[in-house]
Amino acid sequence: MADITAPQRRSFSLDGLTLRYAVLVGLIVIASIGFSMANENFYSMTNIGILLRSISVLFLVSMGMTFVMLTGGIDLSVGSNVAFSGGVGVVTLVSTGSPWLGFAAAILAGMAIGWINGFFIGKLQLSAFMVTLATFAAARGLALVIYDADSINVHDPVFLWLGGTSWGNLPVVIPFVALMFVALSILLYKTTFGRDVYATGSNFNTAFVLGRQPGRKLIWVYVLTGALAGLSAIITVGRVSSGQPWTGLYLEFDAITAVILGGTALAGGRGKLLGTILGVLLYGIIINGLVLTGTNPYLQSVIKGAILLGVVLLDTYTQRGKA
Amino acid sequence: MNTFKKLTAGLALAGSMMGTTALAADGTLDVVFINDGHVAPYHVAWLSGFEDALKAYDEAFDDVKVTGRWLSAEGSLEKMIQQAEVTINEKPDVMFVNAINVDAFEPLVAKAQAEGITWIAVHSPMDSADYSFTLGDVVNGTNQGMAMCALSGGEPYKVGIMLGQAGNPSGEARREGILKGISTCDNIEVVAEQPADWDTVKAQSITENWLTQFPDLDAISGVTDGYMYPAIAVSQNSGRTDIDFYGYDGDIPIIQQMEGGNVKADILLSGTREGWNFVQMAYRIYKGEEIEKVYDFFTPLVLSKENHEIALANGFPADVQVYHVEDALEVAAKGYLEFGPDSVK
Repeated sequence: MADITAPQRRSFSLDGLTLRYAVLVGLIVIASIGFSMANENFYSMTNIGILLRSISVLFLVSMGMTFVMLTGGIDLSVGSNVAFSGGVGVVTLVSTGSPWLGFAAAILAGMAIGWINGFFIGKLQLSAFMVTLATFAAARGLALVIYDADSINVHDPVFLWLGGTSWGNLPVVIPFVALMFVALSILLYKTTFGRDVYATGSNFNTAFVLGRQPGRKLIWVYVLTGALAGLSAIITVGRVSSGQPWTGLYLEFDAITAVILGGTALAGGRGKLLGTILGVLLYGIIINGLVLTGTNPYLQSVIKGAILLGVVLLDTYTQRGKA
Repeated sequence: MNTFKKLTAGLALAGSMMGTTALAADGTLDVVFINDGHVAPYHVAWLSGFEDALKAYDEAFDDVKVTGRWLSAEGSLEKMIQQAEVTINEKPDVMFVNAINVDAFEPLVAKAQAEGITWIAVHSPMDSADYSFTLGDVVNGTNQGMAMCALSGGEPYKVGIMLGQAGNPSGEARREGILKGISTCDNIEVVAEQPADWDTVKAQSITENWLTQFPDLDAISGVTDGYMYPAIAVSQNSGRTDIDFYGYDGDIPIIQQMEGGNVKADILLSGTREGWNFVQMAYRIYKGEEIEKVYDFFTPLVLSKENHEIALANGFPADVQVYHVEDALEVAAKGYLEFGPDSVK
């Protein structure tokens, strides 16, 4: 007798990340339609410009945070680093009169904090949470010292250009962030360094045995995040025409939220920059829409928390199915 | 270039004037209040006073539809800027903004004014704003410090002062005033000054540290009543019922602890009163009344009647306006008494 096997039914299935992106896109569409129905101003060019400008810094910081979280780490110091590196940049600008030296100083200062993080985490194998918690406090303290706890007005048009200029309703910072996204995507997906980032987060010891030097890669990942914090500082100064010691407060939590929303695993080794971009966009739309619709501020945090919890639960559910 | 600047300025001025005219003509008054945070009992009273006042003015006047809302930036500068940008795009009539740092908002003030929105800087004055709603922090702090001098009895007296967030103009002004007031006598020693960042939890641990570090501490002064709640509780739980407290804000639960209690003096801001005063001010602007560019909120010192008499006997200036506890509680709870619709009818 011939074996009879039931014909295999072709099933359509999405992998976990694709499903996550589909959910995010769906939520973005639903939120946008909902907010635009509640307030027709939502789709105005002016509001879209405001929305994009307001999340530009979060985009940059979150992309750095994605690299960090892909390695299984976390960086709680990014918000404080934005304040610190901005302070160094503004003080350099004011004392030398050169915006280019100011730019360089801001980025180098951000990288310095990143290097400290990376050295203790990558070289000395200390907990990323503890190390960056320490630099979170130290960088904010240094910012307050540099600024003497007061703001410094900035008038240099070159220094203010990136954060403060718009072409019509399009802030120039948006194409800049898009370029950064492309550059960082190439770095993550098309280079050995990018593959080592994933390898470090998947299994540090295996990466070490395979000669991928995960400790050194960790240092560079945190330096990169610091550089992005420095760039964010330049944008922030341009946006408010002044250096501010309290800028970047709670930015790390927004960035972590966006990265988790975007599907990057807390344990590392899984995630993509595209997910982070979608996470930031969803986060920004929700914040913008809640303000625009005059939602009770008491409820705003509840709504944000509920969305995050919902997406994380969905992620857990879909991942369990894959196990 | 000069011609261009003049033309731009002229257009902006014309725009702003037209905004006022249109505001009066279309019979609506939309008021938005953006606050730096929403963490203390003062904020709760402030925002509920604001909401109650919006409702009361809307009901009291048939010729105008009064609407409004409030937003909290939760201490984040970036969030506050975004909220201000979105609000400007919504084109309300009046914006009250309690800026985390006024310099950061200069570009937005210009943007709001170009849209015909009246920008009112709250607590920290701004030259560029249409109006500044200020508290007279230095004078208030001085009154608190002088009250401490007058009630300390001339004996050596050790005090710790809890400050606001570093760099916050209002907190710095209050500190300046308190130290100025204390400097009018020579028996008070400031043994500690520490920022508690407007945070009650930090105020609690600071109090615990001070009680250990300074066993002979006589008083705790604060730039906000938010610090008084944990400071009083921690002191009492530690058996230190001899410590005096000098507050600032006029929170009702703190004023209630003045008669026969350890709270010796307070400054009557009262969040409820301030919320009501905002709406009254917006309505007066709507009606085209002339208002001082820097509007000083009336904030008297609060003392118990008994302590006021002691203070006067000890040389406290008689010309400093003082509210006794009963009066202070009355106006603190009922903002409409001073700033309700009847005040502008």
